[in-house]
Amino acid sequence: MFKDLDPILHSQLRLAVVSLLIGVREAEFTYIREKTGASSGNLSVQIQKLKDAGYIDVVKQFKDNYPQTICKITPAGVQAFEEYVKNLQTYLKT
Amino acid sequence: MSEKEPVLSEKESLALITAMINKARDVYHETGVSAIMWGALITICALVRYAEYQFGFRLPFDIYLLTIIAVIPQIYMSLREKKTRKVQRYDDVFISNLWLAFGICLALLILTVNMAFASWRPLLEEYKQLTGKTPEFLLGEYVTSLFLMVYGIPTFVTGASCRFRPMMWGGILCWGCAIIAIFTPFRTDLLLTAFSATMAWLIPGIVMERDYRRAKKQEQTVHV
Repeated sequence: MFKDLDPILHSQLRLAVVSLLIGVREAEFTYIREKTGASSGNLSVQIQKLKDAGYIDVVKQFKDNYPQTICKITPAGVQAFEEYVKNLQTYLKT
Repeated sequence: MSEKEPVLSEKESLALITAMINKARDVYHETGVSAIMWGALITICALVRYAEYQFGFRLPFDIYLLTIIAVIPQIYMSLREKKTRKVQRYDDVFISNLWLAFGICLALLILTVNMAFASWRPLLEEYKQLTGKTPEFLLGEYVTSLFLMVYGIPTFVTGASCRFRPMMWGGILCWGCAIIAIFTPFRTDLLLTAFSATMAWLIPGIVMERDYRRAKKQEQTVHV
């Protein structure tokens, strides 16, 4: 039986962000923007959605008088990602 | 990526996941400055010490004291690197702890060896006075092997975990030289130390720095 794909993750940019964060301990907002090629505004919105879902932690701080945003995947995010990949594989096998 | 959210097919999703994971993996472009500094320093120290024995002169200070002074720029470089880093991989934490453990082990080894020499020296003098001969067993002949063995551990592990072959082979070479150093006199051991430091740190450091600069240049070109 097919399970519905997680709607939070089944979006191009949000999936790109989570896929990027799954392989690293933490990453700055600017790094995620560079790697995804997204605009700052769009990325901010999608990161907020992931944060609200509890999939990522966002820490805002100052570094050398400049604001810095650090993103890190949470255990719930890892679990959701693994589940998402498992469901994807089920779809692809059929 | 566009502002509108396109509907992804299962295949596209999987392709996107793979692409992003590979992008995160590509991030490993460490600057080779630390490796170059330590590789050059240990090579110079060992060669100067060799020259002291070979040509019968003595510097007014112990050349290996330079390694203590080199800790200061190392701390500065590590802090600067940490500040400018935009992403932290799981490996970064592991590798920095590994090299910290290496530094601590090395300091303890130096302390232990010096304590052993301090205890050994009076016995050696007494033996010489009683027999008029120098004993065949000389502690210094074996010390280099211990150091080379320790040098090989973080070098090999870093090379293997980062899939950076020059450093992995450098670590293996340190262990090979450690075996050879058991059977060679102290002067040759110094040359083996210089050779190991060059192959394990200096050359991999140069390769690492070249790759780092190349990656930076590519990044700048992409974002222009």
